[in-house]
Amino acid sequence: MPRKLLYAAVLILVVGGVFWFATEPERLDAATLAGVQPGDPDRGERIFQIGGCASCHVRPDAEGEAELELAGGFALETAFGTFVAPNISPDPEHGIGAWEAADFANAMMRGVSPEGEHYYPAFPYTSYARMKLQDVADLFAYLKTLPPIAEDAPSHTLSFPYTLRRGLGLWKLLYLSEEPVVTFPVGAPEAVLRGRYLVEGPGHCGECHTPRFFTGGLKGDRWLAGARALEGEGSVPNITPSEEGLRSWSPGDIVYYFETGFTPDFDSVGGAMVAVQENLAKLRAEDREAIAAYLKAVPIRASSE
Amino acid sequence: MKRFVVSCSALSALFITAAAVTAADDPVAVRKALMQSMAASAATSGAMLKGELDYNPVVAKAALATFNATAHAYGDYFPGGSETGGDTTAAPEIWKDPEGFQEALGKFQTDVAAALEASGKDGPADLAAFQQAVGPVLTNCRSCHEDFRVKNN
Repeated sequence: MPRKLLYAAVLILVVGGVFWFATEPERLDAATLAGVQPGDPDRGERIFQIGGCASCHVRPDAEGEAELELAGGFALETAFGTFVAPNISPDPEHGIGAWEAADFANAMMRGVSPEGEHYYPAFPYTSYARMKLQDVADLFAYLKTLPPIAEDAPSHTLSFPYTLRRGLGLWKLLYLSEEPVVTFPVGAPEAVLRGRYLVEGPGHCGECHTPRFFTGGLKGDRWLAGARALEGEGSVPNITPSEEGLRSWSPGDIVYYFETGFTPDFDSVGGAMVAVQENLAKLRAEDREAIAAYLKAVPIRASSE
Repeated sequence: MKRFVVSCSALSALFITAAAVTAADDPVAVRKALMQSMAASAATSGAMLKGELDYNPVVAKAALATFNATAHAYGDYFPGGSETGGDTTAAPEIWKDPEGFQEALGKFQTDVAAALEASGKDGPADLAAFQQAVGPVLTNCRSCHEDFRVKNN
C-alpha cells in the first residue's frame, strides 16, 4: 500500500512537472529583440490604424479626441466569460507607461505579460505573432505619444477553469505560430504578400472572420470562411473568393468598400465592422489595394461547415 | 356568363384586399422595400460620384427625394411584435433603445432636409455640389447600421 501511494505521488509529480514545463510562458529570445531599432512613432501610427487598436481599447462610444484615450473598457462577451480590454495608455500605474519595448513585444507577439503570465487570447496575439518586430516597436513608440489615462478598466469575469491562466500554455502550443496561414507559390505578386502580412498579422481579420473550435482556437482549414459573431447576434461574413463570399467582388469593389462602407450593391457596412471600415479608410491606398489583392488570392472556402 | 364575371370580380376584389392586408400586416416586408429603395438611390448616387454614370441634376434630385421620403416613413414599420420573422436583420436594440433609434432617425431626416435645401428646385447644379449635399446623408447608412442592424448571411 505505501508503495502504491508512492507510485501515485510520483505520477502526480511527473504529470504536474510536464504540465508546468509545457505551460511555461515563453518570451521572445534576447537575440531577436536585440536587432530592433528604436521605434518611430510616425510609422507606428499607421500600424495603430491597421490594427484598429482603438476599436477595443478606447472607452465604448468614445468620440473625437477621446478616440485617442486608450482607457480600455470594451467588453467582449464569449462562451468562456467576459473579457474586458485593459488600459493601454502610457499612464505608468494604470496603463503601460512603465513598460520597456521588450515587454510590449512579448505581450504582442507571445501573449506574455511583464510579470510573466499568459494573456488570454481575446487579445489577439495569435495574429500579432506574425508581425515584424520593428512594426511592433514603432507601434509602442506611437502609443507612448498618446495621453496617459489614470483609470482602470473593469476586470475580466470568467468561469472556472478559464480563471487558471497557466493552462493557456497548452493552448498556445496548439495555436500560437509565427508562420503565415496561407502559403503562396514563389513569385506571388508583392501586393498579395503585403496584403497577407496586413490581414494575417496586425489587421487580425481572421479573429472574427474564421470559425473556431470549441477550444477557441481558429480552424485553419476554414480560414476567413465566415463565423458566428463572437459578441452579440448575427454572423460575420465569408471573405474568401467563394460564392457566398467575395467571388463577385472585383478588387476595386473591395477597395471601394474599405473607403466608403458600401458593398457593390450599395448595402452598407454595419455592426462591429463599422469601426474597422473607418480605420481601413484611413490607411494608404496601397494598403487597401494589397488587402484586396490578398483576399482575392486566398483559398476558396464555402460558408457551410 | 354574367354570374361568372361577377364571381371573377368578387374573386379579384378579394385578392386585392388580401394583398393590401398583407402589406399592412407585414411591416418587415414594407421596411425591407423602403430600405431597398434607399440602396438603389445610394447606388445611383455612388455611380455618379465614382464617375461611372454621367452627373445629372434630375437624377441626383430623385435620389435625394427618395432618401427624404424614406427617412420620414421608415421609422413607422418597427411595431412591437416585428422583432423577428421575415428574414429581418433589425437589431433588438431598436426595441431596447427606442430613444437611440429615434435619435438616429432624426439625424438622418435632418441631414436629408439640409441636402434638399442646399440642392434647390432643380437639384444640385454640379457633381461637386451633389457630393457636398449627399455625403453627410450617406454616412447615416453605416452609423445607423452599426447599432441597429444585425447581419445574418
